[in-house]
Amino acid sequence: MTSLTASLGIVFRKELVDGIRDRRSLISALVPVAFIPLMMFFAFKTVSDRVEPIREVTVPVVGAERARALVDWLGQQAGVSIVPGPEEPQKAVRDGEIAFALVIEEDFAAEFKRSRTASVRVVVDSQDSRADRAAGRVRDLVRLYGQVIASRRLIVRGVSPEVARPVRVETVDMATRRERAASLLIMIPFALLMTVFIGGLQIAIDSTAGERERQTLEPLLARPVERIALVGGKWLTSITFSWASVGLTAALLVLGLEYSPLAQLGVRADLGVRDMATLLAAVLPLAPLVSAVQMAVATLARSYKEAQSYVSLLMLLPALPMVLMADPSSTQAAWQLGVPVVGQFMLVSDVLEGSGLSLLELGIPAIASLVGAAGALALTARLFRSERVVFGR
Amino acid sequence: MIEVRDLTKRFGAVLAVDGVSFRAEDGAVTALLGHNGAGKTTTLRAVYGLIRPDSGSASVDGIDVAVERRGVQARLGVLSEARGLYPRMTAREHLRYFARLHGLDGSRVEDRCARLVDVLEMADIADRRAQGFSHGERTKVVLACALAHDPRNVILDEPTDGLDVMSTRAVRRLIRRLRDEGRCVVFSSHIMQEVAAVSDSIVILSAGRVVAAGTVDMLRESTGKESLEDVFVAITESQAEQA
Repeated sequence: MTSLTASLGIVFRKELVDGIRDRRSLISALVPVAFIPLMMFFAFKTVSDRVEPIREVTVPVVGAERARALVDWLGQQAGVSIVPGPEEPQKAVRDGEIAFALVIEEDFAAEFKRSRTASVRVVVDSQDSRADRAAGRVRDLVRLYGQVIASRRLIVRGVSPEVARPVRVETVDMATRRERAASLLIMIPFALLMTVFIGGLQIAIDSTAGERERQTLEPLLARPVERIALVGGKWLTSITFSWASVGLTAALLVLGLEYSPLAQLGVRADLGVRDMATLLAAVLPLAPLVSAVQMAVATLARSYKEAQSYVSLLMLLPALPMVLMADPSSTQAAWQLGVPVVGQFMLVSDVLEGSGLSLLELGIPAIASLVGAAGALALTARLFRSERVVFGR
Repeated sequence: MIEVRDLTKRFGAVLAVDGVSFRAEDGAVTALLGHNGAGKTTTLRAVYGLIRPDSGSASVDGIDVAVERRGVQARLGVLSEARGLYPRMTAREHLRYFARLHGLDGSRVEDRCARLVDVLEMADIADRRAQGFSHGERTKVVLACALAHDPRNVILDEPTDGLDVMSTRAVRRLIRRLRDEGRCVVFSSHIMQEVAAVSDSIVILSAGRVVAAGTVDMLRESTGKESLEDVFVAITESQAEQA
């Protein structure tokens, strides 16, 4: 008969080899690695497009001949080039032929000459953020032109332009682009937590519900091995897959942040290798609990399929703290550190906000996770003793 | 030596095993004969510790399974009703895994694997992955796994179930060989010829109870029937009349 630790090692080695040969296990470990950074890359790209100021703008103008002076002035502004607009600007914008159009109204010249308010229209689909910002630039320019004309008219009439502008407002924007971009980094904890749930999932199911489905559980349980050693060996395999998956995802995220458009926004210095190491120290201790719970749930399920659906439902858990923390009125109490998933989420958020983590802060969620894992493992070992579970009665 | 005393097991309303007792000696083949649902598998599972009886006991080499499950399992080679393989592992890797779980290590593992590959004539499949094995090949590997630790006592639950003629003969040869090596062999079957061909002692089970037990000759004598099939029919019929 073998000792508990020896049996544990034998089971771990076998499951590791078996898992590496299993395409499904590898895919479940590698999917988040490939998918999550890709997803974030596109999210970042969208946002950085939105934040990037518009420097070059081409303005399709309809009825330019009605306001030659205005159009010529626009054309002289930096980065602005004028092109003739389409016959039906509304249709052209709706069909996406042009991003926006500046339309000079029919009576513009007549009203302008009489020193009355002359109108132009900006036709734009405001859902298209890039077009909206370009149109906004044109709107600002036209308004500026209006102010220039107004000042001239007042001076001609012997009135100081300041009389017509009793109050001046200036906005000083203190938000740096870096801070805007940093709010995006909140996706990282979600990505890492998700990976903890996905990485070892297939092993957790395959080594429990799968073992029974393949008719290998009864022969295995007929061996003189402690149940807890069997469960423990399988558990360590699942954790190994989970950790490998999280580690790879983290590495790709660091690389991605370095080379993605986010780097141009100045976040690069914000999340280097050191911070990612702290993030991993916060997130990795969750894996023992997740794997143990996944195994217990898969063992309880009546079939492999049932196990898959139950364990997939567990993946909704990482979304929970996101929802809770989204409410600004919710306060972060210290005891919440001890709540699995929520605790890890809090740690990760702290790291991203730039505050360091103390050993105590890292330790509380880690210990809570291990205590929970021990409970789930004991339950699974118990289930392996149950005739109903083993023989599916 | 395997001994079962007054074993009872109930699943809900069904009394699956009802006071079964028998004793299987070393160097002999003991057969549990009975229809499907007679209680053979449940009885055997109680011996190798996967079912807890409601009353009664089972012991191997004098060790009570309820007291020392692992001690009993260490002395047993088991071919259970469930006989799956790990599809991504080779036959030899299966043998290694189970031999190690029984505490063999180093060269002893490889020696034992080589010997089993030889005895069960599985050199051609030893290093192939189990995925795609035929039924006969699978049974060979599962049998080899059961014997991975060279056990003194062997339990085989319906060992020839679903096998073709050649494989069936090979299994019977193996059973005789295990007996000649001095082991205690208990196997279950619902096939009369098989039981007659290889067993030294027969326990006939019906509806969870032992309705007759003894050597083939003893059973023939007590019923006055010549063929074992007639013996079996005579006994189960008289049992049905009593009930």
